[in-house]
Amino acid sequence: MNTLTMAMLVTAFLLIVTGLFMLVRTNNLIRIIIAVEIVMKAITLLLILAGYINGSELLPQAFIVTVIVIEVVVAVVAAGIAIRIYRHNGDLDIRKLNRLNG
Amino acid sequence: MSASFTSLIYTYIGFPLLAIVVLNLIGKKHMEKFCAPIGCAVGVVQAVTSVITMLLLLQYNKAAVNFSQFWDMSVSTEAAYFSVDAISAIVLFCIGMVTAASFLTAAGMREEKMFNYTNVMLILVLGMSGIALVTDLFSLYVFLEITGIASFVLIALHRDIIGLEGSFKYLVMSAVASAFILAGLSFIYMETGSLRYDAVAEMLAGNTAAEPMLIWLAFLFLIAGFSIKSGIVPFHGWLPDAYQSAPAPVSVVLGGIVTKMAGVYAIIRIMSDFLLGTYSVINLAFMLLGLLSIVMGALAAIAQGDFKRILAYSSISQIGYIVLGASTGSMIGLIGAVLHFFNHATFKTTLFVNSAAVERQTGTTEIERLGGLQKQMPVTGVSSVLAFLSTAGIPPLAGFWSKLLIIIAAWQAGGPLIAGIALVASILTAAYFLRLQRKVFFGPVEEHLSTVKEARGGIAVSAVALSAVTVVVGLLFPVLLQILQAQGLL
Repeated sequence: MNTLTMAMLVTAFLLIVTGLFMLVRTNNLIRIIIAVEIVMKAITLLLILAGYINGSELLPQAFIVTVIVIEVVVAVVAAGIAIRIYRHNGDLDIRKLNRLNG
Repeated sequence: MSASFTSLIYTYIGFPLLAIVVLNLIGKKHMEKFCAPIGCAVGVVQAVTSVITMLLLLQYNKAAVNFSQFWDMSVSTEAAYFSVDAISAIVLFCIGMVTAASFLTAAGMREEKMFNYTNVMLILVLGMSGIALVTDLFSLYVFLEITGIASFVLIALHRDIIGLEGSFKYLVMSAVASAFILAGLSFIYMETGSLRYDAVAEMLAGNTAAEPMLIWLAFLFLIAGFSIKSGIVPFHGWLPDAYQSAPAPVSVVLGGIVTKMAGVYAIIRIMSDFLLGTYSVINLAFMLLGLLSIVMGALAAIAQGDFKRILAYSSISQIGYIVLGASTGSMIGLIGAVLHFFNHATFKTTLFVNSAAVERQTGTTEIERLGGLQKQMPVTGVSSVLAFLSTAGIPPLAGFWSKLLIIIAAWQAGGPLIAGIALVASILTAAYFLRLQRKVFFGPVEEHLSTVKEARGGIAVSAVALSAVTVVVGLLFPVLLQILQAQGLL
């Protein structure tokens, strides 16, 4: 493994950890969506790296385009749900989402 | 022969797509009243097609049929293709059956958003069929996401705050799980340069990994991702919320098949295609996760106060059995896991249909406010007793045989301790279901429930049909075991 590979791997891991940390720490619905998006960006980086290591960049490119499309759809659905929750609750605090437990 | 096979495989993906196109071309105004029949037809066609596929596979004595559309699959090791084998055929049958039951329930509940429900349900069916047919990990991810997105929308269909909450929890956990699965994929891709099941299996079997570290990392991520998707303890937080908050027909399909397709089926695939016997540490990890789910799911189910929530925790416990069977790494465990998958789809769908009937007729699913419904709702009462006996593994019914196979396989792979825990947890199953039956169906009638009538129409039809499947499959099981023995699989 050369320096570039190592650097990309470390960056991707840092991004994953950042995203997961944000996901656990925040109480805001929109920030949760952003955190998930950050994790997905790290995954995109990992896929690029996989293509680079193998010397076959074509297939990962197709993968990445597909991943981006899917990720946008997930973000749209999540944002739609967040807007509906905002209309019901008046704010975006996840601590008010406590009607289901047991 | 291959032409008939190919056209058969088209129906799995093509028929739901065709139904969506027809529905939306003609429009909501004219098609609203045909939604339930069309949805049922899609489910029944899928179930019948999978039976025919199974018979053709047996007749031509083939393990699997491969099929690709726009390119020649032999052209490179990276080309994707579809494939149907015995496991996929059984799973496709389950999808068809549960879909039909869900549409019947929706018709019986007088679902007010029937048109939207039908469209999204058909996309969900398409996604689940895709999961059963694909043969490479990236296509698996794509169909997982189709299934996931369709189920988020379905849970929040009525836009009530409970549905939105359950849906958002499921969405976030599922997005994290997808990210983990993709990370695992990219590590595997770094090693093999291909994500096809056969290429990965070859690399793992030959131990040709240049950096074994990457493979361990990949499986760490894949185990975490698929465990979240299937709701195994300790990754189960979202599952009861999603099941409880979903509208009744949606929780039928969620509990019956969706989480099993998205997580457990992928685990069965990985175990059967890549790991049968190799990498024993991963098998052990899944075995322990399975045991933990069996025990914790059953214990948590005892303490719940909502009909659907009890069923959700019971699902976690039964998923544990399926994962335990698949992770034993032996053929008998794998067969047990697939058969328990089928049985679970049957009896858990029956129970969710029953909960829908109770919800429709009484307006609540809290068991403290229910009681003595056996007299007024005989069909629901009897079918739920049958389903519960099958879940608990009482001999003549279907659930007993698959649990028996799984426990035998667990004994062979992990010794008497693991098999013993799985066996004792079976008694816990009986405990929480007896509590459920006593509170809801047995005993004296609650005063405010004295005018309740049996649910008619679609709900009763699907409850009776699914109970019939449970009983008939249970009685035919020895024959099935003899067929498997004749094939040299047991």
